Amino acid sequence: MGAKKAEAITTGYPRQKVASLSSLKTGKPVEFKYPDTKKYSGSFIVKLGTEAGGGVGPAKDVVAFNNFCQHMGGKMLDGGYKAADKAVGPCPYHQTTFDLTRHGIVISGHSTESISQILLEVEGNDVYAYGMMGLIYGRHSNL
Amino acid sequence: MTQYYLPKDKVPIPPPNAEVFTTACDYCIVACGYKVYRWPVGKDGGPSAMDNALLADFPLEPLGKSGVAWYGPNNHNVVMVNNKPHNIIVVADAETGAVNLNGDHSIRGGCIAKKPYNPNTPTRDRLQRPMIRIFDHLMPVTWDFATDIFAEMSNYVIDKYGANAWAHKQYSYQYWENTYALTKLALRHIGTASFSPHDQPGPGGDAIGLRDTGYAKFAPSYWDWAHADTLFISGTDPYETKTVLWNEWILPAINKRKMKVIMVMPRKTMGAAYAEANGGLFLQLIPGTDTVLQNAIARQIIEMDGIDKEWIKKWTNNKWETDSGFGQGTRNSPWQWRSTWGKFETSGYDNGKKSFKTWLFSQKEFELNAAAELTGVSAAKIKKAAEMMSQKKGKPTKVSIALEKGNYWSNNYGNTVSIASLAVITGTGGRPGRMIGRLGGHQRGGRGGGKYIRTKGPEKNEGRRKKPIDLDRWLVSGHVRFANVVGCTWVSGMAGAQGGIGDAFNRQTRKNAHQVHSFNKSEIISTLKKRVDSGGMVVANWDIYLRDPIGVKYADIVFPAATWGEVDFARANGERRCRLYSKFYDAPGDAKPDWEIAGLVAKKMGFPGFDWKDSNQVFEETARFSRKSRVAYDSIVWMAKKNGMKGHELLGKLGTTGIQAPVRIMDKAYANSKDPRINRPGRKFAGDQQEVLKGLEWRGGVLFATVRQHDTEMKMPDTGHPERTIFNKLELKYKSQTGKLNLLKSPWNQFSDFWEWWKPKGEELWVTNGRINEIWQSGFDDMFRRPYITQRFPENWLEIHPEDAKARGIESGDQLVITCDRVPIQKDYNQAVFSGDFMFSNLMKQGHIKLTKASITGVAIVTPIVRKGTTWTYFQNPHQPANALVPMVPDWVTNRYRFKLGVGKVKKIGESPYKRTYRAFSFARRDIV
Repeated sequence: MGAKKAEAITTGYPRQKVASLSSLKTGKPVEFKYPDTKKYSGSFIVKLGTEAGGGVGPAKDVVAFNNFCQHMGGKMLDGGYKAADKAVGPCPYHQTTFDLTRHGIVISGHSTESISQILLEVEGNDVYAYGMMGLIYGRHSNL
Repeated sequence: MTQYYLPKDKVPIPPPNAEVFTTACDYCIVACGYKVYRWPVGKDGGPSAMDNALLADFPLEPLGKSGVAWYGPNNHNVVMVNNKPHNIIVVADAETGAVNLNGDHSIRGGCIAKKPYNPNTPTRDRLQRPMIRIFDHLMPVTWDFATDIFAEMSNYVIDKYGANAWAHKQYSYQYWENTYALTKLALRHIGTASFSPHDQPGPGGDAIGLRDTGYAKFAPSYWDWAHADTLFISGTDPYETKTVLWNEWILPAINKRKMKVIMVMPRKTMGAAYAEANGGLFLQLIPGTDTVLQNAIARQIIEMDGIDKEWIKKWTNNKWETDSGFGQGTRNSPWQWRSTWGKFETSGYDNGKKSFKTWLFSQKEFELNAAAELTGVSAAKIKKAAEMMSQKKGKPTKVSIALEKGNYWSNNYGNTVSIASLAVITGTGGRPGRMIGRLGGHQRGGRGGGKYIRTKGPEKNEGRRKKPIDLDRWLVSGHVRFANVVGCTWVSGMAGAQGGIGDAFNRQTRKNAHQVHSFNKSEIISTLKKRVDSGGMVVANWDIYLRDPIGVKYADIVFPAATWGEVDFARANGERRCRLYSKFYDAPGDAKPDWEIAGLVAKKMGFPGFDWKDSNQVFEETARFSRKSRVAYDSIVWMAKKNGMKGHELLGKLGTTGIQAPVRIMDKAYANSKDPRINRPGRKFAGDQQEVLKGLEWRGGVLFATVRQHDTEMKMPDTGHPERTIFNKLELKYKSQTGKLNLLKSPWNQFSDFWEWWKPKGEELWVTNGRINEIWQSGFDDMFRRPYITQRFPENWLEIHPEDAKARGIESGDQLVITCDRVPIQKDYNQAVFSGDFMFSNLMKQGHIKLTKASITGVAIVTPIVRKGTTWTYFQNPHQPANALVPMVPDWVTNRYRFKLGVGKVKKIGESPYKRTYRAFSFARRDIV
């Protein structure tokens, strides 16, 4: 366990460069789209500064998530990334918060799934997304 | 339990011809409306609106804007219908006319699709066969075999030891059909006084001070909670425990109407933090001191001349009115005893020496600085709360007041009386947006099939005043020979769970010499008879899962029950809203609904009137017993019959909106009137204006819902009411002889002897407990059988303040032991002779209290959301029962436990596996705003 890479449970996801390690600043999320550019593909990558489940990079602290709350579709970054707590939220709709050190599990709130985590791997300075854990809000299938 | 839940990234879509059922969530009192879509496995629909039953195009819009709420993998399951596998998705109904508008839902309801039995999921251990304990092994037998033993042992115990040796503990909420059948058996036919609901030591109300004052506890509608100027909430954060009441009613009122919320709790969770950040106030009091805080606020309101003078004059009883008929009814009623004790009755607001005001100002504890010291809430905040609740000249402040367990489960009578008094003086409790009531815990599914006969009970106060039994004490002192436990966790659910009730169950069952070692029915029965004749007892347990310890360790007879989704059932939510909970799949194995099991055993015991063919028949029989209650639904059944329908059928047609009780049949012209005195604020959501009700008439009358009780400004019809409609005084007035309110005293010294003795000493801390949003009224599902939730909360935890943690060398994720070596158990004594005999200090002096040891484990969460000196834990994890640290000494006035007042020492014994791994648990604070 620990911060080891989790296995994607579905194959067929695109492998896509989403950031470079050297450009990520601790506590500053960067937005990108994954696994496509269609609705609800908005995602963010963040260097937490502490080791996290599914974290990559030398400190295993770089994680990425889809940006939509699994409760009713609020944009989580509108609630803000909370560096002190390594959390995202509260959701602007109904205040759900998610723990980004623990695979995006709900801290407090109403989400029936963890916020969907994007699986990352590192090649040199490049961070690649290669899969997802969890269904993206609004969709019936991620792909 | 799995800690390694890996979410899926697909869900199936119901085809256009999928069947649709309506239901409501099974868990918290809010009872959000849901739709169940069902279709055979292999016949999925597609993502465009024309290819699915949702009539919506994927991807779906946020906030239910597609007309349907989005659903994820936890909304899906596979169930059996007529032996064929079917997909179901259970989705919050975005088109409902009430409660969970826009398809809103809690995490619990959102995952409720995982509740139905599916052997490929952790529900595989559902009870499916009746079982008998033989060779200390619960073995499947036939219904006939198990009910024979149940009936014969019951009759033997009742004949030989009396009905009070046959004890019955049951849920008070698990649908009207079941609670009616069970109480018809236990109370009407067996007539035992050894009866108690799931969370109480004996029968009776929870918020008894409200009742003595004259308030019905579920009078408000959800609309009222959204239309106050100042909403005072004590003892709960509805964000955590009434999720959608917060999301759809309170939160929008804060954001759009600038409603101010005052929240009172020892622990700061999301709702409290949000209220505070948005013009409200958070009062973080020391556990058990609410009476002092509430009276201190009342005193400040009076000092700043913020009372509602006209209201007090019009609606409170003076001395003569309070005395007349002793205010509330028959001479031997609890209210009547209390009013003659002289400890609580007043002569009205300010009529002379015995008035409420004179008393309030004579109590030194309620003076501002004294109160600040006792409660731990600053004088400035007490004053601020009083200002926010004060009536301003020329512009009334609409105050509503809500309370829940954190308030009434510490100092039950004092807290509920003083919060009711706070309501009376601020003009709260009889007008739209100005209401007082409980927010509630479980849904309202209790229906009495028989009366509890208090005079048959063993307990009495001084004089000749009989009071309801304390069933735990009755069992601990060895008077129970047969314990029938239906759908509840007797032992871990009760106070003093280890040293009191747990110890007694063990002694009187497993440690008795007479254990069954035979498959021969008559030998089984003769062994069990020897057990009861030697002071032991037989335990029967009806449930959907085998619960530890009551089923796992103690039950001799186990009956498998059918539940939500497996049978048509009906009940109401926290605003008296009645709905049908439809059957949509087949119960596993041989499981039967409790009303049917009650029928099987009742017939074998020789009782008539249990020949029901289906759930609707039971429902229709229960209806007339509801007529005087706040959830009167007799009119629904009557209207159905007169229109050639079944009761369940008509209720089902009302769908997820349902209808707010009491439901009346009223003249059509009256019901359709636009007069705002008839068409009351909030009626839009009441549920009686739906298309489906059109054309349903009886003698010119139509169904008419009740938005709120005590609606003092409502206009009654000029010409009386159609037959079948009973109008209770409570619809316009209050629960007293005069229909006015009693202003009562709530002296701190009726409780302070206990509180001073029990409060933490030396290294001890308060170990208070409660519910969380993610597990609430859903423990049997969530704690063990919902992988997503068990991953989040794999075991119990203890929230501890950073300073208390540092002093003990504790970090988040450490494994803790929480112990107490002085948990008081009131082991005997139920006949008081002199005044004050039941006071804790006298019980101690006279040797009726035994001090016991208790210990539980938990995982540390170091967090500033709890106050220094106070820790917090989940209230009822069967493996780590926090109630073990709770005193088994009920409030002497009302017989209610002080569940929230645990005390213990906290010690680290090492690290839990969650400290350095990342898949499960979270140590993040719950108040991030």
